[in-house]
Amino acid sequence: MTPPPPPPASVAAMIRPMPAPADSRANRDILAVMGRPTIGYVALLALVVSTVGWALGTFVYQTYVGLGVAGYSHPIFWGVYIVTFVFWVGIAHAGTLISAILYLFRAKWRNAINRSAEAMTVFAVATAGLFPLIHLGRVFKFYWLLPYPNQRALWVNFKSPLLWDVFAISTYATISIVFFYVGLVPDLAIARDRATGWRKVLYSILALGWQGTTKQWKAHNRTVLHLSGLATPLVLSVHSVVSWDFASSIVPGWHATIFAPYFVAGAIFSGFAMVLTVMIPVRRIYGLERYITDYHFENMSRFILLTSLIVGYAYATEYFVAWYSGVEPERTAFWLRAFGSYWISTWIMISCNAFFPQVFWFKRARTHIPTVFVVSVLVNIGMWFERYVIIVGSLSREYNPAVWGQYTPSWVELSILAGSFAWFSMFFLIFLKLFPVIAINEVKELEIHERAHANGGAH
Amino acid sequence: MASRARWRPSRRALGLLGASALVTASLLALPGPEPVGAQGQSSAAAREAQTLAGDESAPGPKQPIPFSHALHAGTYQIECLYCHTGTDRSMAAGVPSVESCMGCHSQFGADLEGVQILQRYWDEKKPIEWVQIHRLPEHVQFPHHRHVKAGVACQTCHGPVQEMHKVYLVPDTKWWPWGTPARKLEMGWCISCHRENEATQDCFACHY
Amino acid sequence: MPEIDRREFLKLVGASAGAAAAAGCSEPVEKLIPYVIQPEEITPGIPVYYASTCQECPAGCGLLVKTREGRPIKLEGNPSHPINRGSLCARGQAAIGRTYHPDRYPGPQRRNQAGQLEPVSWDEAIRLLARKVQEAGPGTWLLSGEPGPTAGRWIDRWLTAVGAGGRVVHEPFAPEAVREATSAVFGVASEPLFDLSDTDLVLDFASDFLEIGPSPVEHGRQLAAARDVAAARGRTARLVSVGPRLSMTASNADEWVSARPGSEGLLALAVARAALDAGAGSPEARQALAGLLEHFAPERVAGQTGVDAATIVRLGRAAARARHAVALPPGVSVTARRAKASAAAVLLLNHLLGAVGRSVRIPPAPAEGRRRPSYRETLALVDAMKSSKVKLLLVADANPLYSLPVASGFAAALEKVPFVVSFASAADETSARAHLILPDHTPLESWGDAAPRLGVRSLLQPTVRPLHDTRAFVDTLLDVGRAMGSEVAAKLPPGSFRNLLEEAWADTDWRTALAGGGVFEGASPAPSLPLTPGATRLEVAEPLLEGDGEWVLLPVTSGLLYDGRGANLPWLQEVPDPVTKVAWQSWAEISHATAGRLGVELGDVLAVETPAGRLEVPAFPRGGIRDDVIGVPIGQGHTVGRYASDAEHGRPDAPRGVNVIQVLPAATDEAGGRAWLAARARVQKTGRFQRVAVVQTSQNQRKRRLGEAVSLAALAAGDAHAPAANGHGEAAAETHGDGHEHELLKPYDAAKDSAPDSPYRWGMAIDLDRCTSCNACVVACYVENNVPVVGETRTLQARQMSWLRLERWVGDGDLEGGRKLPIGAKEAPGAVDVRHTPQLCQHCGAAPCEPVCPVLATYHTPEGLNGMIYNRCVGTRYCSNNCPYKVRRFSYFDYSRENWPGLLSLMLNPDVTVRGQGVMEKCTFCVQRIAAARHTATLEGRTIRDGEVTTACAQACPTQAITFGNLKDEKSRVVQASHDPVRSYHALHELNTRPAITYLAKVKRGVFEEEA
Repeated sequence: MTPPPPPPASVAAMIRPMPAPADSRANRDILAVMGRPTIGYVALLALVVSTVGWALGTFVYQTYVGLGVAGYSHPIFWGVYIVTFVFWVGIAHAGTLISAILYLFRAKWRNAINRSAEAMTVFAVATAGLFPLIHLGRVFKFYWLLPYPNQRALWVNFKSPLLWDVFAISTYATISIVFFYVGLVPDLAIARDRATGWRKVLYSILALGWQGTTKQWKAHNRTVLHLSGLATPLVLSVHSVVSWDFASSIVPGWHATIFAPYFVAGAIFSGFAMVLTVMIPVRRIYGLERYITDYHFENMSRFILLTSLIVGYAYATEYFVAWYSGVEPERTAFWLRAFGSYWISTWIMISCNAFFPQVFWFKRARTHIPTVFVVSVLVNIGMWFERYVIIVGSLSREYNPAVWGQYTPSWVELSILAGSFAWFSMFFLIFLKLFPVIAINEVKELEIHERAHANGGAH
Repeated sequence: MASRARWRPSRRALGLLGASALVTASLLALPGPEPVGAQGQSSAAAREAQTLAGDESAPGPKQPIPFSHALHAGTYQIECLYCHTGTDRSMAAGVPSVESCMGCHSQFGADLEGVQILQRYWDEKKPIEWVQIHRLPEHVQFPHHRHVKAGVACQTCHGPVQEMHKVYLVPDTKWWPWGTPARKLEMGWCISCHRENEATQDCFACHY
Repeated sequence: MPEIDRREFLKLVGASAGAAAAAGCSEPVEKLIPYVIQPEEITPGIPVYYASTCQECPAGCGLLVKTREGRPIKLEGNPSHPINRGSLCARGQAAIGRTYHPDRYPGPQRRNQAGQLEPVSWDEAIRLLARKVQEAGPGTWLLSGEPGPTAGRWIDRWLTAVGAGGRVVHEPFAPEAVREATSAVFGVASEPLFDLSDTDLVLDFASDFLEIGPSPVEHGRQLAAARDVAAARGRTARLVSVGPRLSMTASNADEWVSARPGSEGLLALAVARAALDAGAGSPEARQALAGLLEHFAPERVAGQTGVDAATIVRLGRAAARARHAVALPPGVSVTARRAKASAAAVLLLNHLLGAVGRSVRIPPAPAEGRRRPSYRETLALVDAMKSSKVKLLLVADANPLYSLPVASGFAAALEKVPFVVSFASAADETSARAHLILPDHTPLESWGDAAPRLGVRSLLQPTVRPLHDTRAFVDTLLDVGRAMGSEVAAKLPPGSFRNLLEEAWADTDWRTALAGGGVFEGASPAPSLPLTPGATRLEVAEPLLEGDGEWVLLPVTSGLLYDGRGANLPWLQEVPDPVTKVAWQSWAEISHATAGRLGVELGDVLAVETPAGRLEVPAFPRGGIRDDVIGVPIGQGHTVGRYASDAEHGRPDAPRGVNVIQVLPAATDEAGGRAWLAARARVQKTGRFQRVAVVQTSQNQRKRRLGEAVSLAALAAGDAHAPAANGHGEAAAETHGDGHEHELLKPYDAAKDSAPDSPYRWGMAIDLDRCTSCNACVVACYVENNVPVVGETRTLQARQMSWLRLERWVGDGDLEGGRKLPIGAKEAPGAVDVRHTPQLCQHCGAAPCEPVCPVLATYHTPEGLNGMIYNRCVGTRYCSNNCPYKVRRFSYFDYSRENWPGLLSLMLNPDVTVRGQGVMEKCTFCVQRIAAARHTATLEGRTIRDGEVTTACAQACPTQAITFGNLKDEKSRVVQASHDPVRSYHALHELNTRPAITYLAKVKRGVFEEEA
């Protein structure tokens, strides 16, 4: 059979060709990632799994003995757990943004990274979702947070931002999982055609009998389009809601109108950084340079630069508003953030989030992968500390100076924090071996365009 | 509700009368409604009640004494508050002291095994360790006096004790228009009653 | 002793309920255990009150012991008792712990060869003691605290009967100097009684009368009455406090005169001189004192006292101007070698000011033969012990091994005594060294009486069956006597101490006396006594101090631990010191200048060395102490006691903190009284650091509206100091330019904050001008609401659980500091502006904590309370984050497991849920009391009357600073109180939380201005 004439690029994204020949290089390269695990891989997996186990143990211990084993002290009742919760929710933003928004904007370069970004979204949400429960004083009563019919005829408090969280996070989790899966289906079909044994069974089930007919492709694209439409507002809503946990309180340093945009920008910022932090090594290890090119990384660096500017601006605004308000507790809170006992955290946050990313003004920095990697890591650190400063810093310098506090995380909290990273990596490592790390079809689609361009086709 | 009417505390005086009449009757060894002699044989009814109260197979936990509420509250019509004194004055429902049991039983029933056990407690001056059947969680404050004074029959929560030889938690379930059914002594069970009677539904009324 | 399920006791009332909960499995079979014989006065669930007398200090306040099902669960003041009028101090509140204390001796014990204590039967023990007494004969001595009159009389009878050597009364804080001074000046050997209620100037010469006495509750109340601005605006008494340190008493003064410790006598005479010059005093008095006062011109004395002449003159003139001034003699911490002279000087000042016979009453000396506390005799006994003259030492109600200086050599002397018998009910340092222990009942289990003063005879009666195998001290003695053979027995009365007591009270109606707590006569007019001829022959001079150190070592008296006897009561340890806000620890107060010179900061451990010894204690730099003084509080550093020693860290024999008594010389004043201020100290930096458990992280309120104050001028002018702050004042109704009322400025409307159909909106008024930060309310709250005591470690982690805390604010504060905690406060001599703010849940009408709870565990009740439903709480802790007052607590652990060890769980209030692990808790306005009142009222078909229900804190408050009631009832006391147009304000009002608590600003009276 002869390949159909290449369609004009404008519609290429909408109507796809039949799958490229089975021996396509893309198939081989990308599916190679799913091949036999190396020693290194197994070792790494073992490490993260044991870390998760350890964290699980500490959590059980904490639940039994009481939250006193965490570093909480009057009046600082939110600490590492909520910090980490907000951090991971932030991470979860890159995926949807890349997949949905960039898809709608037809940003081609997204295709190489959207799959892993979506995966990260799902895993990050799965991680974040744990922390609101971990931080509960009586975690075994967590289901009281859900509105369900019960014999007491009791209801939840819809006025509480914490309840909005419950809905925001669960919605986001659902959509991102669906999105991830729908995008996966065609590639699962390819994997199915090559796999043997239990994998064959698994993929056959997951591929939902995908044949790659034009009809199916149409349906698939429509679904993706609609899902993108659904997911786009979520990118904005989820972290806005999370930010209201703080903004809707009266705590000096929390009670600010800019929180929603501020948090969303920060989320995208950290999300992209995390994608880079993860994808750079992956690309290196599995030699995917042909698909995930420096061009991708440069674009993401641009994004990071942009969001870094927004975040930096937000910091400035915060301080300005605190000063301009003339409210003494506000002023004091912010002054002590920068120059009080939490000054280290504050300056880590400012330098990592607002200063270092400025190197991306220079093309050489954007294209120099080690630099990009280092900055992305710094941004992740900085964003974690941003939440630490906002939450712990504000709580420890509130209205009543008689009970200003000092908070230091306990080993339990740090273990569980480490556990959260392990938990996330565990899922990602498994994902590497189970699913195509790059959306094969979308990559091939690009190949076809390239060919089209080469033949001096559409233009 | 007939039972409620019968157990309204306004009838307490009558109950007391009945009880005292019973005592005097027995003292004079007159043929009472249930003839019992000071030293003589207790009635068949009494003996049967005792066996039933001690019946292992019957529902409810085994009590140190095979005491039959059916006999005392039912047959003899002794008013609840006659033994459970203070229930109309206090948050807590009083459990009769060994002394108050002996108040009557020093007079009669000596041939009954249960009364002999009682006698032993009395002689050793040891309290009787009854097994509790109706128990609310520790974080619930239940004012008995308010409910008694409001005319809520003891049976409303404790079941038809006057018909039970051996007391047990009579299962009861209130069904909500929505939501899951509330079993007896569960919060929803209390609340539904409070709703019907327009009593307070303030959390702080019971939980503090 | 198995842990006791609280609920057991609510429902099941028996003595043997302990056994009931023995079932340890997860699903224990709950038992109902009725009484065998039910006492007719006891109805399960209904509290019974018994009148008794507090034994924590010599003041002798009246108690009402609240019992439930036969267990005392709370101590309250006896309203009909003339001394405390229904209030009770922190120590009194905590005293209930003695009865249930886990350190109590289960029964008589004797020390075996191995030196271990082993149980012994009473008969055996008594026979043994009888034998010992026989052997020892006149070598038998009794060392005890001051017993009640009846007990004392029979103890003396017993001592003569058995031919013992005698007894010594050892009361570390007994005001012997004052007693001797009184006899020198007025020829009557008794302690003068002061009545401050009708004074307009109180000159306090470092008497610490609000902390330790002579009668803190009474004097607190009287001071409040004298200073009451509501009574007569502007015409309000002033308190001038002289002393080396801004103590709790001084913090409540209007002016602090920072004088050299021990120079109070000089100062008093100088002030007298100035007053004389200003024309004070009756002709006779002036004439009598002129001679003496010649030598005490302010200029001359200024140098010795460290107070400039101008101030002295100013005070003198003020005293002369005053309608009715009174001076209080020096207290414990400044009793020096010449304490008697100092006290005499103050009495002379009183004489000049004409206070004697008005507010100073010299009661007749107690009946002959009644033994009074004497330090000289105590030391004499120690010498006798050293020279092995003492063969048998009986120690009762005293802990000399702790409270006597090491320098007195008591420890060594004790070694020399072949047989030591202790009658302590709970383990202490001395009983730990005894050969035989015959535990006494605790006061709540005992019969007894007290005659704290003329016209006041009060009774102790048992309120619970002895929890352990203990016996009344006097009964033990009588039995011993009887066991010594017929001829001794013949000299002793038959029957028990109870009978003797009833006989002693034969002149009264026993039953009424018992029911009322005693017999109280109305105060007769105080006689005005003439001076004795030798009255003015005084050698008043600077104190003689041992050692060549640079600093004067000031033993600071603590209102909580008293002379150390409070140290083993958990609440008194947990509640922070009212001035430094340090809990569970010792500290050394030094001035900032001293700190600078030594190069130390808070927590740097100092080595304090006197001729008598050396101790190491962390520094606490503050403005409120003289540069030439180092102050170390008395009371810590015990080596015995679960809460007193360092048992928390697994070292039950090691001291927690230091015992400053150990470095004091065993000095007496010229009359044989105990001299506490006797040493100079060398102070060095050790280089070690110890975290100090400061509960309040800042006494600088940074100009925030937490503790407010108004000047007398503003008060007189009647201008509201804070229009918006004050929810009631006229200014409150002012509107914005656009005409509509600004939310913040709307007058407070109680109706808005509770259900329309509810007759109640519970609220509180707290008068900062009355609050002295005595901590009575705090301890009362702990006991009433089953608030767990968390100990030193968790206090250091800022994990205290108190529902009510006292915040101490120095002035309005400034915006400095904040980087390092705690933030120092600016204390300085001169006008004192310290505000004590009881901080508790404000039960806001617009509570920030309510909307943020996802499960509605905290919500607004129909009666306007801010409800906290523990069993609904999941522990997100958002409510606390959003509470601007920070009065919510989180139960980090399951305190019900470990925090009421042993029998302590028997004193839990059955009406209050013991909070489980992981939930928030906070002040409920004592909702259990409201509920009880509501039940009664509803059953009687009416609403709750004003004053029918009050909170534990309001009830305990000696100065009636707290008023609780219904804000919807315009006539209620609370509404009246909070309608003060000038002083009333809401804390942090600008947040518009609409609190139910209205604070009344403290009144700044300032220093006396020089008249033109």
